[in-house]
Amino acid sequence: MSIFPLAVLAIYGALLLLAPDKAFQALKNSGNILFNMLIPLILVFILLLASNLFLKPAHIKNFLGGKPRIKSFVLSSTAGIASMGPIYAWYPLLKDMRERGAGNFPVAVFLHSRAVKPFLLPVMISYFGWIYAVILSILTILSSLIIGYALHIFVKRETSLNSVLTVMPDESEQ
Amino acid sequence: MKIAVTSDGPDVEAKVAHKFGTARYLSIVDLDSNRIEVVLNPNALSQKGSGIHTIVLAISKEVKTVLTGYCNPSARHQLESNGIEVLSNLSGTVKEVIQQYREGKIQRDIKIAATVEERRSIISKYTLIQSLNSSFRQFIKMMPVLIGVMLLIGLFNEFMPEDLLASIFSGNVVLDTLWGTFMGSILAGNAINSYVIGQELLTRGVSLFAVTALIISWVTIGLVQLPAEMASLGKKFALLRNALSFVMAIPIAIVTGTILNIM
Repeated sequence: MSIFPLAVLAIYGALLLLAPDKAFQALKNSGNILFNMLIPLILVFILLLASNLFLKPAHIKNFLGGKPRIKSFVLSSTAGIASMGPIYAWYPLLKDMRERGAGNFPVAVFLHSRAVKPFLLPVMISYFGWIYAVILSILTILSSLIIGYALHIFVKRETSLNSVLTVMPDESEQ
Repeated sequence: MKIAVTSDGPDVEAKVAHKFGTARYLSIVDLDSNRIEVVLNPNALSQKGSGIHTIVLAISKEVKTVLTGYCNPSARHQLESNGIEVLSNLSGTVKEVIQQYREGKIQRDIKIAATVEERRSIISKYTLIQSLNSSFRQFIKMMPVLIGVMLLIGLFNEFMPEDLLASIFSGNVVLDTLWGTFMGSILAGNAINSYVIGQELLTRGVSLFAVTALIISWVTIGLVQLPAEMASLGKKFALLRNALSFVMAIPIAIVTGTILNIM
């Protein structure tokens, strides 16, 4: 378990001894926040389940690739939006993709588009409203395009292995 | 329907590869259109993990059956879990094996074939259980920190002087946005925590500009993860990407806040 929640619990433990009234009031405040989040959290779980059911890492890997073209942008940002879990979990895959020839553009777009979290939208909408969620999501995706282009221009790829060979033999050979 | 044949060479006259994991090529045959795509397996010569990469390659090509010489039990299990039937103990050329498969001359284990077929359905019982487990784990994993954040906000509400935040967030759009971006850059964790903190800051009178900057930089900038990003994607890439994300967070926050203020 992360040290952070344990540290917070320790603070509460100390406060319960030193200022129990205030500690109980703080707990009540936190309870209210949790209560207000219950329905959005249920929706978060449903969306998480849907993502796990229909999206596999192999599909996301398929989305990443290519030069800065519209298709590459759409696929990479979709992959970024669909990706879940901590960012460091994706570094090995991204590294692998770059070693296989994926450019800086799709990788940068992927990383930036991760700021759009479809499965957390219920919480964002309940807190800030759907207009806010829509505007922020659109601007985030557009900014990923700018960052992707900038990295494509300013950072040279360290490796470029053209490792996928596609052969389409004459059908009569089969 | 697509099938994959492991092979030693890039054409249909090549021999079927003896081992699935270390096969040099995968010949992906679309049985409906009769097209063959020969894919070089870049990890064939890897000492470690070549099998995993070959499995990912097969899954990403959406094949339904793998034809090979030998497939170890672990790789077989992974493939079958993903709805891919494995037919092994095959030899000869790729062309011959495809022909045998088309003519139904390759022996199949009916029981395994039925299990694999069930897993191929859009939501099989197996997939549903796996996904439920996985979702539950992900959900539970994010809860301790989220609850910690909520408990901390409860404390802030009770103990933090009203004027402390006002002294940091002065009401100046640019400065507040910069502060928000800075906070988001150094804090890390699930994005849901940034929403909870952002909401709390809003109720305490902090501007939407600063809150939006915090939310956007929380995910796009990772000072904590920077060493890992540099190690994986290169120093220049990681530094420039984070710097650009910092710069971009400011206009995003200002534009978002301005639009909402106008509306």
